[in-house]
Amino acid sequence: MIALLRAESLKLRSTRTALGMGIAAGLVTVLPAILLIAFLPKDTLSGDETRTILTAGSSLVTYILLVFGILGMTGEYRHGTITYTYLATPRRGRVIVVKLVVYALVGCLAMLLALLLANLIGVIGLPIRGVRFAAPDGAAIADSARQIVTAGLITAFGVALGALLRAQVVTVAGTLIWALMVEPLIVAFKPHIGAWLPFNVFSQVISLPIGGAEGGAVEGLSHPEAFLVSIGYIAAVSVLAVFISMRRDVT
Amino acid sequence: MAVIEAAHLSKRFGKKVLAVDDVSFTIQPGTITGFLGPNGAGKTTTLRMLVDLVRPSGGTVRILGSRYSDLARPPTRVGALLDASGFHPGRSGVNALRVVATSAGIPYDRVDAALEMVELEGAARRAVKGYSTGMKQRLALAAALLGDPEVLLLDEPANGLDPEGVRWLRTFLRARAAEGRTVLVSSHVLAEVEQTVDDILIISRGKLLAHGPISELTRTAQPVVRVRSPQAKTLEGLLVARGAAVNRLGDALAIRGPSSAAVGEIAHTGGVVLHELLTEQPSLEDLFMQIAGTRKEA
Repeated sequence: MIALLRAESLKLRSTRTALGMGIAAGLVTVLPAILLIAFLPKDTLSGDETRTILTAGSSLVTYILLVFGILGMTGEYRHGTITYTYLATPRRGRVIVVKLVVYALVGCLAMLLALLLANLIGVIGLPIRGVRFAAPDGAAIADSARQIVTAGLITAFGVALGALLRAQVVTVAGTLIWALMVEPLIVAFKPHIGAWLPFNVFSQVISLPIGGAEGGAVEGLSHPEAFLVSIGYIAAVSVLAVFISMRRDVT
Repeated sequence: MAVIEAAHLSKRFGKKVLAVDDVSFTIQPGTITGFLGPNGAGKTTTLRMLVDLVRPSGGTVRILGSRYSDLARPPTRVGALLDASGFHPGRSGVNALRVVATSAGIPYDRVDAALEMVELEGAARRAVKGYSTGMKQRLALAAALLGDPEVLLLDEPANGLDPEGVRWLRTFLRARAAEGRTVLVSSHVLAEVEQTVDDILIISRGKLLAHGPISELTRTAQPVVRVRSPQAKTLEGLLVARGAAVNRLGDALAIRGPSSAAVGEIAHTGGVVLHELLTEQPSLEDLFMQIAGTRKEA
């Protein structure tokens, strides 16, 4: 398993995909924070929403990590490297489990860096607007920790979806359409059902309320419940992916 | 003990395509076996079944006494070249091999040794997308050699190689066999492997047509009589009328059936002038055409 973890880490370091995704995540973190600090009224910046403003880009980082996870697995099929991967490790379940672990860790690390970057923008940018940067309190740190965990979960979910579906373009497009269009519509019209859908479950690990079409929030899952259901989603898709991949021909 | 044993191996894709149909063979240690057949004959599918990349629809396969996936650190026992394009285009050659080596617990000095063996050290740090087809083929061969395996499975290894590369490959395979390793090499270009292999497996449309030492199979095959004549068309008519199989190209005829003496007599009787008359032992290609032709007629 250690050898596989090292090999997976080398795969990440030896192409530009991870670097490109990192740059994209950095840009979507930095740009909204800079623009909001530059153009929002001073009163808004010094209010309770300061931290939300600074981390405005973090939801986009989450989607970048989701795509990163999908590419990590579907890329093996797209470039044909899956042949060498399975020749070196014929136990296909191990390959998928190791990828899930590595990508989950990378997702956590990427979100940690994104949050640190956002706070750095606050430390530098807020005083320029004459606003004092307040160090994050316990609640803010707990929020950040949940964001970091969720990023890891979503990246791993991307890997699991990629292992299940294989086709890169279809998986990326289908997942983003589901996450950004289908689920929000279901949440709007059937919030009690929407609360249990995967990307809403992931988001409930961070924030609790689920908004309905009438503007009211419905009671969703608690953070621990959302975390456990998230793990359940990843486990279910992964087990299915392993089951199917063991029966699939690599031609 | 046989190194590779396939028994009643078959593979069906969907309901209509029977890619491999009840194929059985054994490969002995220290031999180079040519796995021959036209494109689409079932060679690649069979090779992939040997290393558990494709699940057989029926039959069994054992390599070094067990299933490939049951071998401990399989790339150190069996090296496979199955897909020369199976490298990430943005990854360097050396890193592509290091990924495989790391997964299989093979030390990095073997990466350098394999690159040296295929004479690719100079391009090792370049991204694979900048490689020619021949260079990718050499990289794939290096990947197969990484674990210093005792068995090599090579699917069309000469694809994309220039004539110099093909000659290099031939020498390379001979050297591996001289070390006592077993090589199973597939090809659809029969002349390419003729000078290299000890045994051959001939497959066509998923069925195994022949299996045995190349010398034995070519000895039992009918010789070919080659004739050059300014009246080649007339002679062709005379020979066909006597039941010979004739291929004519300009003034040259390749004749199967009658001996050279009989051909000479037929020409003399018919008043046909001959410029050349000789008997040739059949090439691998002739042998393949004979075997495939016989089965088709059957």
